[in-house]
Amino acid sequence: MNSPKKRLHALGSAIVGFSLLLAATANVAQAAPPQQSVPREQTLILDIDGGKVITPDLWNPLVPGSRRDHGFHQSMIEPLFILNYMTGKINPWLGESFTPNAKQDVWTLKLNKNAKWNDGKPVTADDVVFTIGELCLKVKELNCHGAMNEWVKGVKKIDAQTVEFTLKNPNPRFQLDYFSVKIWGGINIMPKHIWEGKDPLTFKNYEKGKSPVFSGPYKLVSFNPDGTEFIYDRDDNWWAAKSGFKPLPAPKRLIWTWAGPPENRVALMADKKLDSLMDITKGAFDTLKAKNPNVIAWYKDLPYAVLDPCSRTFELNTTLEPWNDPEIRWALNYAIDRDQIVQIAYEGTTSKSRIPYPMYPPIQRLDKLLESKGMFEKYPIWEHNPKKTMEILEKKGWKKGSDGYYAKGGKQLSMVITTHEAFIEKQRIADVLVEQFQAVGINASHKKEAGQLWGDNFAFGKFEARMGWQMCGSVSEPWATLNTLNAKWIVPVGERANGNQWRWKNEQFSKIVDQIGVLPLGDKRIDDLFVQAMDIYFKELPVIPITQAKKLIPFDTTYWTNWPSDDNKYAPSWTWWQSFYDILVAIKPAKKS
Amino acid sequence: MSGMTRGYVVRRFLMWVLTVWLGATLIFAIPRLAPGDPIAAMVLRMSAQGQIIENSAELIQAWRERFGLDGPWYVQYVNWLRNCMTLDFGYSLTQFPARVWEMIWRALPWTIALLTFAVIITFILGNLIGALLGWRKTPPLLRSLLPLTLTFSSIPPFIFGLLLLFIFAYTLDLFPNQGAYDSRNLQPGLTVEFLASALHHAILPAMAIVLTSMGGWALGMRGMMITTDGEDYMILAQAKGLRTPRLFLRYAVRNALLPQLTALALSLGLIVGGSVLIETYFVYPGVGYLLYYSITNGDYTLMQGIVFILILTTATAVLIIDLLYPLIDPRITFQKR
Amino acid sequence: MATLTAEPVAARPAPQVRVNRWDSPWLNAKLIIGLIMVLSVALSGVVGGMFWDLRLARVGTSPQDLPPAFVPGGTWAHPLGTENSGRDMLAVLLTGAPRSFRIGLIAATIGLLIGVVLGCLAGFLGGWVDRLILIASDAWITIPSLVVLIVISAFVRQISAETMAVLIAMFAWPGPTRLIRAQVLTLRERGYIRMARLSGANTFDVIFREMMPNMLPYIAASFTGNVSGAILASAGLEALGLGPTRIPTLGMTIFYANQASAVIRGMWWWWGFPFLVLAIIFSGLFLIAIGLDEVANPRLRGLQVKQ
Repeated sequence: MNSPKKRLHALGSAIVGFSLLLAATANVAQAAPPQQSVPREQTLILDIDGGKVITPDLWNPLVPGSRRDHGFHQSMIEPLFILNYMTGKINPWLGESFTPNAKQDVWTLKLNKNAKWNDGKPVTADDVVFTIGELCLKVKELNCHGAMNEWVKGVKKIDAQTVEFTLKNPNPRFQLDYFSVKIWGGINIMPKHIWEGKDPLTFKNYEKGKSPVFSGPYKLVSFNPDGTEFIYDRDDNWWAAKSGFKPLPAPKRLIWTWAGPPENRVALMADKKLDSLMDITKGAFDTLKAKNPNVIAWYKDLPYAVLDPCSRTFELNTTLEPWNDPEIRWALNYAIDRDQIVQIAYEGTTSKSRIPYPMYPPIQRLDKLLESKGMFEKYPIWEHNPKKTMEILEKKGWKKGSDGYYAKGGKQLSMVITTHEAFIEKQRIADVLVEQFQAVGINASHKKEAGQLWGDNFAFGKFEARMGWQMCGSVSEPWATLNTLNAKWIVPVGERANGNQWRWKNEQFSKIVDQIGVLPLGDKRIDDLFVQAMDIYFKELPVIPITQAKKLIPFDTTYWTNWPSDDNKYAPSWTWWQSFYDILVAIKPAKKS
Repeated sequence: MSGMTRGYVVRRFLMWVLTVWLGATLIFAIPRLAPGDPIAAMVLRMSAQGQIIENSAELIQAWRERFGLDGPWYVQYVNWLRNCMTLDFGYSLTQFPARVWEMIWRALPWTIALLTFAVIITFILGNLIGALLGWRKTPPLLRSLLPLTLTFSSIPPFIFGLLLLFIFAYTLDLFPNQGAYDSRNLQPGLTVEFLASALHHAILPAMAIVLTSMGGWALGMRGMMITTDGEDYMILAQAKGLRTPRLFLRYAVRNALLPQLTALALSLGLIVGGSVLIETYFVYPGVGYLLYYSITNGDYTLMQGIVFILILTTATAVLIIDLLYPLIDPRITFQKR
Repeated sequence: MATLTAEPVAARPAPQVRVNRWDSPWLNAKLIIGLIMVLSVALSGVVGGMFWDLRLARVGTSPQDLPPAFVPGGTWAHPLGTENSGRDMLAVLLTGAPRSFRIGLIAATIGLLIGVVLGCLAGFLGGWVDRLILIASDAWITIPSLVVLIVISAFVRQISAETMAVLIAMFAWPGPTRLIRAQVLTLRERGYIRMARLSGANTFDVIFREMMPNMLPYIAASFTGNVSGAILASAGLEALGLGPTRIPTLGMTIFYANQASAVIRGMWWWWGFPFLVLAIIFSGLFLIAIGLDEVANPRLRGLQVKQ
């Protein structure tokens, strides 16, 4: 048989062809690999949370295609302030202070006078006025336009370090919501001398071989054309270190890498080729610890994971029969066994919720407040009692048929719970909920939807029930989460709602929320109003709190120590947030070199 | 044999035009049948960091104009056809200001290189196995062992890719577990180091493609071989006393292979679409991931651009094979009927 | 239609066989073994339900992460172990396997039937019919199925396994159409087909009585591949939410295993057993295909005796 020769021939040509085509990619390569090598013990290697960066040469953070979680806003773009999740206090960074007038509608920002861009130019009030006034307010398509346009009437420079914001309406949370990395990131200041005269929509802010100009402690060195690896080197001239405001971060080099499926990432970390990972499952964490004993997480034992700011909620469309009836919603709540959800869907890595808030210390205080007012006795939200479910249903005229399901007027009691196709965590909760509802005679089922569709169906009110996290908003004060249920957002089913997509209408509740909304942060009157609002919320239960959200984030102590943890909670473990600077300046090399 | 007439070529070319047009029309129409609005979704995503935007309608309108999606459908359709002719698909909907063509171009060389490499090997191996299975004189032992190699194609590629990684990358440490080349130390270019690194990185993903997809080719080829076996010329050739290897390759395989070539051309789109799993698991650059991303994120312009290129490539490959067919296979005539 | 394809298979070779042998060609070892394998999968749910509680395939009915009974740490209460949501693997296989198989079977059958009909029409009638069919199939084959399925998923609430099979079949016809057309083009120039046409047999007869038996090896092979393909495709559909989710199919089980990093955790039973069943389905169909070839194609069978 002469086929092996032929095969070899073909194989040979395939390899040659392959090589030639690869050579062609030389043309599209965006950046050269770094010239100098840095030893592993001086390099910090982190996981890119959001996957492959599809447009790796885009370093303009204001356009829709921009990504910031690949080290961009964790090492180059600095925030004005950083919220401390543990104390609820807002700490200075580029900004020194941000203070409102008594009416909360004029805010004065003072910048750190030592702040400098990495090309040596100072960060001044001109940069702030340019970014907010010329970019965010004037160019509709930029991602900072919506928020700024909603609140800001005008910005004006007072002196080189001082800017005055005049708001359209009083907003006590103006600093917290937009400039303090409350969740993930915030509105950032661009250097005027770089951006002036550019079209902010098509400006890529990247020149081959050069780092974009920002103020952070690192400069971009290189990235691969596929957008899976980004390398930054420390800028020893960083303003904050020079002025003594912050220590110089210990790692000489940062590498942000995307290693694909969890297996691959876990294998790399077991091999000490990654210092941290984005959220992984408990099983993967156990395996990782067995292979690399230096790996730690927030807690030493279960639940291991750190709290995520968006607690998980079971949500109902309150315009639909029979879910428009608060008693029926309570019947559903009695059918829910949260302990089983924690055990099965989370394998013990989280805890159950009784309020739709993340249980950070400032929120724990609110929870205690509710407890002291007897709220949880009045509304036993954690009670798992299928008998009560059936009693309520039967009282409302539902009858159990021979098929084991309740029915009324020939209509079976059924429910479709939808989830986002990309989020296995919520899908697993929904799977358990389905079994718990089935067990009491409700024909529940679970449907996954592609992301965009899921979002649209929510906004247009075209859903029945869903497993989500859409009451997310508050982390240190109660208002933002309550406001998601404000009646002012309500539009008819079939129109896009910007808030309160459950379309739960309660005028009294909304009035209280609006009252809280204009009180300064930390005002004594807020507590009482909060209890009143929660009383209505519990009575009606439009959205049912299920569990706290978890992020199991492993850190490797082989090369770096002083990672944040429950014993050392100087910051949450989020390596993909803009607040990562807090961790960056805190970690220390494991071995003295 | 009547071979190729000019009329046939013209008709065939017209069909090519119609196929490409129909494909382009389908890919224009299908996403527009979906409820929801990709622009609104994009605006929402942009502001999804725990904020609520009140004037989103105004923003949506601004973006819609920018992407030329504000006109009536027939205007958009005419624009789309014009874009297809110039191969300029404008801006990506979710990656603005990146242009579709620039994004495809960044990923395309890797896809072409890896897939050419893998598909050629798959095609050869698969057809060889199939031919041996369908050939009467194959030794019985071989004939009973070969089907084992086919069971690979019943494994979902994603778990198979992981198993390969687990064995060859994590446990044995023979191959790298991610990427297309050593991007921390090398610059793409015509250097021995780069090419060696690229080949080293390509072996596992190529293996995953080859092993999971050769079964399909083998099954098809086996069927063809058996059909071919019954042909008069095979019996004649046998009667002439031709040697077995010659009979196998020159007569049986050659003739059985022709329909397989058409199948190969037709499956180009499926191969590219299917490579998303390989690209995800081996973190290999390529168009498959881009296509998947564009579909699940509602990036119409990017998705339409990629699919149109697939349509164009597939239709052209089929056209070429069809035109060559009567030259290779004397059994087919193209007289007017 | 199914009887039309099956009948000539039996009818044509029969006279030759009776000359050589006393036994029936249907008593083919490969055919029988293949049938046993496939039937055991298809019937596992019904039979399994008699001695195993199939409700254990639901979430939270068993302890989590147990290995199979024959491995240290396992228990005979869950002979094949459990996965991380507390599903019993044996119950998952017993309920998932027949459903996966049914989906594969329906999808492949519909896809192939459309392919055979269109391919024969195109190849035999030629002219505009041929061109239209070709244009449609060539254009359709490059449209990514995911695009269409996402659109469809927006309009359906919950769909059954059968509907899912039909959705998969929507994308399974262009391949067979193209290839069967090519076969018909070759076959129609053969002597006996020409003879049949000249002697006034109608087109339908020529296609199904004369051509079909010759295409059977190819059709059977294509069918085997398509069943496996459809089973795997169904996993993708389910992951997108197009399909019932309460009890997972084989593909979905492997998908979940993958999501939970089962490979690196060493939970081989989670993906290994479903894979084994998939391989049994595939091998069983393959043996049936070979067996059918030998029944239809006496030369294949005869030669084995000689060697």
